[in-house]
Amino acid sequence: MLLDLSVNGVRARLDIEADATLLDVLRGDLQLTGTKRGCDEGECGACTVLVDGQAVDSCIVAAHSVNGCAIETVEGLARAGGGLDRLQRGFIKTGAVQCGFCTPGFLMTLTAYLREHPSPTADEIRGAVAGNICRCTGYAQIVEAVRASTGADV
Amino acid sequence: MTDQPTSLQNLPRLSSFVDATDLEGALEALQQHGSDLTVLAGGTDVMVQYLRGDVAPHGLLHIRRLRELRERSFGRRTVIGALTTHWQLVTDPDVLVRHPALAEAAATVGGRQTQNAGTIAGNLVNASPAADLLPVMLVSDGMATLKSSAGSREMAVADFVLGRRSTAIKPDELVTALSFDPLPDSAGEVYLKIGRRHAMEVAVVGLAARMAFDSDGTVTNAAIAAASVAPKAFRADLAEKRLIGTKLDDGAIREAGELVRQASHPIDDARATAEYRRRLLPALLREAVTICRRRAFYRGEAAQHAT
Repeated sequence: MLLDLSVNGVRARLDIEADATLLDVLRGDLQLTGTKRGCDEGECGACTVLVDGQAVDSCIVAAHSVNGCAIETVEGLARAGGGLDRLQRGFIKTGAVQCGFCTPGFLMTLTAYLREHPSPTADEIRGAVAGNICRCTGYAQIVEAVRASTGADV
Repeated sequence: MTDQPTSLQNLPRLSSFVDATDLEGALEALQQHGSDLTVLAGGTDVMVQYLRGDVAPHGLLHIRRLRELRERSFGRRTVIGALTTHWQLVTDPDVLVRHPALAEAAATVGGRQTQNAGTIAGNLVNASPAADLLPVMLVSDGMATLKSSAGSREMAVADFVLGRRSTAIKPDELVTALSFDPLPDSAGEVYLKIGRRHAMEVAVVGLAARMAFDSDGTVTNAAIAAASVAPKAFRADLAEKRLIGTKLDDGAIREAGELVRQASHPIDDARATAEYRRRLLPALLREAVTICRRRAFYRGEAAQHAT
């Protein structure tokens, strides 16, 4: 079945099985392996990508259900010249990355959230990432990273 | 493909994915192939069940593009289109005013990713014993609109859900909308949920209450429903009757709590024991009716200032 997507602004036209998930297409067909396969049942948030600006767990999104949609993945955050975006720099500055497996999912959930709420409080940030699990940081540095990226005192 | 989960490799593969673009086409597909198709909207339940091998449909009928299923209207009855997402329920100002407990329940469904994708009709049709929206639908006299190529029918949510993951929907039918009684000015409502942790949790017990009061604080109407304590969410009608006509004195609340407990049939599972669930019910009922009384008071005040 033909699948027609925009991924990080680039059009992709692919022949995809009826039961493929969006995560299968991103990691397998498009070799965009920044998006991680964690629980594979929509619980951990490691596979979070944006579909038309909305954060979703790509492991439980049927690929053909997003035919024609604009997909954003972690690979799209850095600018063309290679510079990381503010949120990514915030994660590095505050040590919010340890094993790194959950990081792309957190970055995408927070990217969508910050577009709605440019200056969130620490509690709002914790609420925003309720669907993303991190087993290394205890979340403290992740909250600090968001605050740092928005210019708030950390 | 090298990156597929192992679970999928053992499954009979889907032979078709039908991407419906209008209601008529979707209903026609159901009429012709209904028993072979599973309806897919947000996918937060259907895709998980498919990937686990719990369901093995020949095909998926994707309905997310149907604009006809997105409409919301707020008249004498509130009508909420089937595809309305949990996040839309959380953020729609009309829902917040007329159905605060529905917004409250939707806000407890998973994380933001699940709330962006999951739909109100999906929560109904999935018919989980722990569904967060079901008890709220029950206390606001929810009705489901079912359409097929042959016609349309309305069915009370209480009759639509038959049991655990079982509903009265026919293979050629689609839930297109839900309707509810809006919260009266003299009433308050609440959804309370006990889970093992704060976020991303399936309810150990869910309880919804909608209570109306007259000007001296006497209960004029009571609706109470519980989830996760029986194969399906249910209205606790004996407890409701015990509360109507009272001023929520301690004895009435205690006896109503006991009646909710007696109406429940919980099980032991990974999340909690049946005994723990039974013990929670009277405490939750007490908290719920107290919150309803407080909310009804402020709602009444706000309505007076508005006129």
